[in-house]
Amino acid sequence: MFGFVERAITQVGTTTVRIAREVGGIVVLAFDVLRALFPPTLDGRELVKNLYKMGNQSVPIVALTAFFAGGLMLVQSAPFVEKLQAHALAGWAAGYAVLREIGPILIALMFSGRVGANNTAELGTMTVTEQLDGLRALAIDPIRYLIVPRVVAMVVMLLALTVIGDLVALVGAAITAKAVVGIEFSTFIHSVVDNLKPYDFLHGIYKSMVFGASIALTSCYFGVTVRGGAVGVGRAVNAAVVAAAVSVMLLDFFMTYWLG
Amino acid sequence: MSDAPPPAARPVIEFRGVAKAFGDKQVLRDLSLDVRKGEVLFIIGTSGVGKSVTIKHLIGLLGVDAGEIWFDGKRVDTLREPELAPIRKRIGMVFQNSTLFDSMTLAENVALPLRKHQGMRQKKALVEARRRLDQVYMSEFADRYPAELSDGMRKRAAIARTLTLQPEVVLFDEPTTGLDPVNARRIDRLIRELSGGQGVTSVVVSHDLTSIFSIADRIAFIYQGAVRALGSRDEIRASDDPVVQQFIQGQSSGPMETPGF
Amino acid sequence: MRGLIELWGVFVSTIAGMIRGGRPKGEIVRQMHAIGNKSMLFIAVTLGFIGMVMIYQACMQFNRVTGDLSQVGVQFIRLVTSDFAPTLTGMMLATRVGAGIAAEIGSMKVTEQVDALRMSGVLPVDYLIVPRFIASVVMTVVLTTLGGAIMYVAGGLTAHYQFGVNLKIFFDLSLLNPAHLSLGLVKAVTYGAAIPVVSGFCGLRAKGSSEGVGWATTAAVIGSSLAVLLLDFILSVAGFFVLGEALR
Ligand SMILES: Nc1ncnc2c1ncn2[C@@H]1O[C@H](COP(=O)(O)OP(=O)(O)OP(=O)(O)O)[C@@H](O)[C@H]1O
Ligand SMILES: [Mg+2]
Repeated sequence: MFGFVERAITQVGTTTVRIAREVGGIVVLAFDVLRALFPPTLDGRELVKNLYKMGNQSVPIVALTAFFAGGLMLVQSAPFVEKLQAHALAGWAAGYAVLREIGPILIALMFSGRVGANNTAELGTMTVTEQLDGLRALAIDPIRYLIVPRVVAMVVMLLALTVIGDLVALVGAAITAKAVVGIEFSTFIHSVVDNLKPYDFLHGIYKSMVFGASIALTSCYFGVTVRGGAVGVGRAVNAAVVAAAVSVMLLDFFMTYWLG
Repeated sequence: MSDAPPPAARPVIEFRGVAKAFGDKQVLRDLSLDVRKGEVLFIIGTSGVGKSVTIKHLIGLLGVDAGEIWFDGKRVDTLREPELAPIRKRIGMVFQNSTLFDSMTLAENVALPLRKHQGMRQKKALVEARRRLDQVYMSEFADRYPAELSDGMRKRAAIARTLTLQPEVVLFDEPTTGLDPVNARRIDRLIRELSGGQGVTSVVVSHDLTSIFSIADRIAFIYQGAVRALGSRDEIRASDDPVVQQFIQGQSSGPMETPGF
Repeated sequence: MRGLIELWGVFVSTIAGMIRGGRPKGEIVRQMHAIGNKSMLFIAVTLGFIGMVMIYQACMQFNRVTGDLSQVGVQFIRLVTSDFAPTLTGMMLATRVGAGIAAEIGSMKVTEQVDALRMSGVLPVDYLIVPRFIASVVMTVVLTTLGGAIMYVAGGLTAHYQFGVNLKIFFDLSLLNPAHLSLGLVKAVTYGAAIPVVSGFCGLRAKGSSEGVGWATTAAVIGSSLAVLLLDFILSVAGFFVLGEALR
């Protein structure tokens, strides 16, 4: 009995210490990245290369996700809409949820699973094969040269994907509205245009920037701190996607209050 | 003392009582070593004794637990990451496993430091990179990716990449391992020429007895975390230390203690 | 397309293996621990926070039109049980568990341990996927219940402290009916089944060395997340038509 309590306490203790160390490491990395951005000495070639690669990886998946996310929100509000016989509200209800919450969150999670995970694996492999030391030995700062372009590319890319995704999600919701509940496109469009404010869209876009930064920093941090060969890379990828998911949820909470 | 005295006797690099442990594994205990300007110093010792660890300390890739490291009259072991950049431009390192960037072709690899430190545009840097690769007989592979090449080919490209910054000191970690005898001797000649013609100091970690006894000015034998023997080729060859003799004659049994066996 | 057929094959042989039985005894319990206990904190934190956010957004939305917040709680519990709890738990587990399963099975594949199993007459699906499948179905239902409860309570507290909604009015279960509960349960079971099948499939397809495992891990995260989303869409639409009146 006491053995169990002791074990539980030890476990909570070590977990807390580990999380604190990881959060600390990510915050330090964030400051390093910020310092490297002033004055901006961004490596243009790396930035373009990463933007191109990340876009290629994620656009189809994000489009698919957004389409179904929009449809889903409409189906969820459908019973309510049917009950009130308020077809004019369907676009508003689904659109509000999609633009403010579901769109940015789901797109961020998918982005983290695709681009973030891949980035962790790539940096992790570079770390275990000493390519980062190779850069240092050439007097090239890995943070400036490798991390900063990746962070910038991920923030920009997730922002762009969220803008596109919002649109795709509304299309998905409109099509679902027509197909499932029998709401005309014109009714849906009116409902969206009349009831949603530009700020509802911006609310989600601001969030996506913060999500992009946190996914980028998390995935880079777990990449460059890999220990223990190929197995270590797999573990790091796993840890990075989990940590990114938690950070997205937590930041969403704070951003929602802050943005109102 | 049949060898000619090295060009200048002033030490450009000094290790003073360096100690380093990883966890509870004490790798370096009390390592002291001087490297003279313009000489070719070989570091030899059994696998896992800490040769790579020793030279990584010099450019701040690892930090010492105790002791001091000096380069050209400046203490380097206390420098922080940003302060190390100027040192790293003056001391080049060729890693044991090459560490070429596998997302870039050989030419792009060599062009990177040119672009970053000499302000060259990518196009000009790539042209220059090809010229550098030619010096190590690798220009025909300039557009290949590291994964498509053999260890020896990667190593030669890594040497070309390190030499782009025209460092005063070059640390070679096993430059001829994995190379055929012809290419190995070409690398030996390159190292010798660097030190003769341009006054570059070379620190070479090697197991290659042919290299060691043909181009070394001095040889340092590391054993149990410290320098066990240091001297010219002839001095090491004539050493009466049985451990040194066992190593240079490659005998499988003898007084030497080798961890892991 | 061929991938989908192979995936279906893995699913069918998993079911067949389950019916055949005869797997190592302790394995299911061990997998339940790996999938369930270790995800508990993760699920609790993420669903708790998103519950607060959703209520915050919903109250803002209602305030904009009617200002009547008395309906928020009853609508929320319906959505939590029929969709949010299972689907968000599913998304989170796709990340946490999907990656783990693919990394584990993928490492075994590239180190030829899977072939060794086959050589010794054991079907890899029986040995590797079936225990994870059973454990995942059970634990997804358990974690969905836990996550849903935390979401509901966190949402209720937000409504009360931020918007002054009476707790009694918020925590009113009278409009919740078996239709919502059964739709939620079906979803949880479906995701619990889909995640190990998709990620096990990705793991078994891993080729080469460490890069192969890395690839399998990312593919599993994306594949099982997408599977959860698509299944959610299908089940929600089906639920809308089949349960229709009962959901309103
Ligand atoms: N970053 C590190 N973390 C932990 N241990 C390390 C690290 N780097 C080196 N070691 C350990 O230090 C010891 C010396 O390593 P080192 O690479 O210097 O050997 P070496 O003399 O270069 O051998 P070889 O001839 O095989 O290259 C080894 O036992 C190694 O396991
Ligand atoms: Mg070595």
